[in-house]
Amino acid sequence: MTDAERDPVLRRALDELRKLPPADVAAMRRVVAAAAAARVTPFDSEPGVLSPRRGRSIRLWMAVGIAAASAFVGFTLRGAWTSSSPATQTAAGPAVVDSARSLFKPVVATEPEGAAIPHQFVFTSSRAHKVSVVGDFNRWSPDSTPMVRSSDGELWSVTIPIVPGRHVYAFMIDDSLFTLDPTAPKARDPDLGTDGSIVIVGRP
Amino acid sequence: MSSFPLQHPAQAIGLDPRTISRAKLGDIDAFTAIVEAYHGRCVRFARAMLRNPDDAEDMVQETFVRLYRALPRYEERQRFEAWLFQILGNCCRTANTAFQRQASRTTRDDAAIERVPSLDDPAGQFDQEWSEAVRRALAEVPEYNREIFLLHYIEGFSYEEVERMTGVKQSALKMRVKRASDQLRTRLSEERS
Repeated sequence: MTDAERDPVLRRALDELRKLPPADVAAMRRVVAAAAAARVTPFDSEPGVLSPRRGRSIRLWMAVGIAAASAFVGFTLRGAWTSSSPATQTAAGPAVVDSARSLFKPVVATEPEGAAIPHQFVFTSSRAHKVSVVGDFNRWSPDSTPMVRSSDGELWSVTIPIVPGRHVYAFMIDDSLFTLDPTAPKARDPDLGTDGSIVIVGRP
Repeated sequence: MSSFPLQHPAQAIGLDPRTISRAKLGDIDAFTAIVEAYHGRCVRFARAMLRNPDDAEDMVQETFVRLYRALPRYEERQRFEAWLFQILGNCCRTANTAFQRQASRTTRDDAAIERVPSLDDPAGQFDQEWSEAVRRALAEVPEYNREIFLLHYIEGFSYEEVERMTGVKQSALKMRVKRASDQLRTRLSEERS
């Protein structure tokens, strides 16, 4: 017994402070969900994948370039689409003037403009057992777009039709790891509230 | 005063080392097991450490998010829970600093500070009052003494481990724990009298 525990007042205080709060299952679930969403680069040690520091700096510059390109693409596409619709033309005009941010909204699959274009996603991992693509084009569903493993076991790929525009996506590894595409620029995604990889589908 | 941690049933967490290894590789089920094993202790520590105990849940979540992101860099030679509480301690200190800055700019909500959860069970009223007295007394202990006191007496870390976690020498740690104990004892004795 320690000095502290010999003192009756302090011993009682310690007993009080050692009481654990009741198990809060909902809070634990929130913790796990938040952690899973935040850990976006778990395959850092995977051969062929950039180290986090290098990857971040490269992706940042690429993101700047792609962001500028997507602004141009968005401007051009919006201009083309709105030319046939006076109603949208009036709406699109102030949006471009007021805020460039409106140009960066992900293109949702329900937009009628533009026919879907096949796009191939590729991910490299010899350790994963299951990989799928999740993104704004499939409502971030890990079950919608499973990828197929190559015969050498290194590459995972899938080709799906996507409407032209800028899309945010990621890979879901073994139904649990939310992983960015190390070869693509990244940006904060408004749907998921965390970083995502960016792909520009189609050309203006 | 003993340099050995107090053994407490709540601290007897048998987490399989393989669980941590699997979590390092990104296994979400293994990480869930870690959260289940340590969430209660982390909330207890955060509530005792934070100037605003209502932030404890958020701070614990922040801690686990940081832990999960940093897991690939975790080295097994360091005791896992020491690493976890090191991160949690950092989060709490940062939050206290932010809270202090905010409090200096805004009027203190004394009603909120004094607010205590009501008890349906009248028999528990005495325990509730004692609990509040202990927490008030602990809140008056300076943060740098309180953290060491909690790590050693409540979370059961040895002085050697706390030295590794905080970088403070054991002689200084023991002094801090003694000061915290003395302050707590004096304050609670006053309350009782």
